Amino acid sequence: MKKLLFNLICIFGTAFATLAHNTGIDFDTIPSDSLQRLIRYERRLTRMQEHWQRLIPSYGKIQYAGNMGFMSVGGGWSYGKNRQWETDLLIGFIPKYESDAAKVTLTLKQNFMPWKWHLNKQVFIEPLACGLYLNTVLHNDFWVRQPDRYPKGYYWFSTRIRTNAYIGQRITVKIPPHKRFFAKSVTLFYEISTCDYYILSHVGNSGYPLHELISLSFGLKMQLF
Amino acid sequence: MHIQRITTTLLAAAVLTSCDLIDYHPYDVHITGDTDVNAKNIARIEAGCLNKQQVRVAVIGDSHRWYDELKLFVKAINRRDDIDFVIHDGDLSEYGYTQEFLWTRDCLNGLKIPYVALIGNHDCLGTGRDAYRAVFGDTDFSFIAGRIKFVCLNTNALEYDYSDPIPDFKFIESQFTDRADEFDSSVGVMHARPGDDVFNNNVEIVFHRYMTQLPQLMCCINGHGHSLKHDDLMGDGIIYHQTASLDDRLYLLFTFNDDGTYSYEEVAF
Repeated sequence: MKKLLFNLICIFGTAFATLAHNTGIDFDTIPSDSLQRLIRYERRLTRMQEHWQRLIPSYGKIQYAGNMGFMSVGGGWSYGKNRQWETDLLIGFIPKYESDAAKVTLTLKQNFMPWKWHLNKQVFIEPLACGLYLNTVLHNDFWVRQPDRYPKGYYWFSTRIRTNAYIGQRITVKIPPHKRFFAKSVTLFYEISTCDYYILSHVGNSGYPLHELISLSFGLKMQLF
Repeated sequence: MHIQRITTTLLAAAVLTSCDLIDYHPYDVHITGDTDVNAKNIARIEAGCLNKQQVRVAVIGDSHRWYDELKLFVKAINRRDDIDFVIHDGDLSEYGYTQEFLWTRDCLNGLKIPYVALIGNHDCLGTGRDAYRAVFGDTDFSFIAGRIKFVCLNTNALEYDYSDPIPDFKFIESQFTDRADEFDSSVGVMHARPGDDVFNNNVEIVFHRYMTQLPQLMCCINGHGHSLKHDDLMGDGIIYHQTASLDDRLYLLFTFNDDGTYSYEEVAF
């Protein structure tokens, strides 16, 4: 039985190899317009693959707190001349606490780090990181626009989408090439943020301390490439 | 070195203040501090008003995000010693996010006298009703001060499905006879009154008829309308007293007597 299987594989292998040799690989026998076609196809294919490759996140991120959940994880893309821009896509969760269920949140975050200060060959600081992020809660009790049952314009705000803004700082350690596993650098950061609700609640109220307006969060970024 | 020092200082400052600064989400219902506030205060009210022939109650509502005004109100009440307790008739928050309930609770906890707080339609938004329940308690409740029963009801029907009975007639009915030997007259308190946009107006007349079954109903008190109003809604002499929103800096001061009579005044603060 084993021998029969081996023979069959050998026969198919040989046949396939012969076929492949006869159809594609011998460029001398191909007419030049067909060759041109093949080259254009290859070029198109490469371009398409390059486009899709750009969708591969260039880093992974984990962040604690910051009005987008207890913990958020996700990835994102670095771009710009000095890779000073970043866009994150994070998924977070809010524990149940006193509510009826734990909730999942999604965050779209735009970051901008205008400067890099190199402390030495391995470590650099980004003295300012800033940005905006939108957070949405995936739960039926929240709406983007008020449901139809309410009179028109009853609640002007959305309970589902929060707009946040932050400033923060980062420190990055580059991993030497021979020690790399997944990441080429690791970044630690903190952010001080506020959200639309917090600002609205403080307008016209003098007596409230700053710590109610702002939130602190911490995170870690692993730069893959 | 200079940069490192700045960073270290900033990080140290951040860590030191971090306890108050960590926020998971506005709607996380992460409750810190006092809970079950209504039940605790009701125990104080009932003990404090025991055997009193006259009960004096200050009522406000719709404080939303007017925290400065709420603090002024607390100060104004604390300057007096002729009031037994305070009722907030709903809309403790603007957006229903957790911290709003804690702020409002902390402001009202500054009162020397006890208070109860009802749920308003804004308090139902997002996880608001969970936060309300955790901080203050059940959305329908009652208590007895002197020989007067205060029946406090959730009337924000527009914020609920039909699966939640709002207003809850079973609860109202239970109040006709519950602790019957301890009270002679009643007062109804609610956020929205019959006819309001968030009230279930299919039952506005039924609701009123049910309320009048409460032993010697003196009057009803409501909020939601953001202006002072005293209306005989159903033409039977039962007045619905509507509180102003807190930015108007007015409260209603009721004097309820054990003979079933009452008076009220509008007080500026």
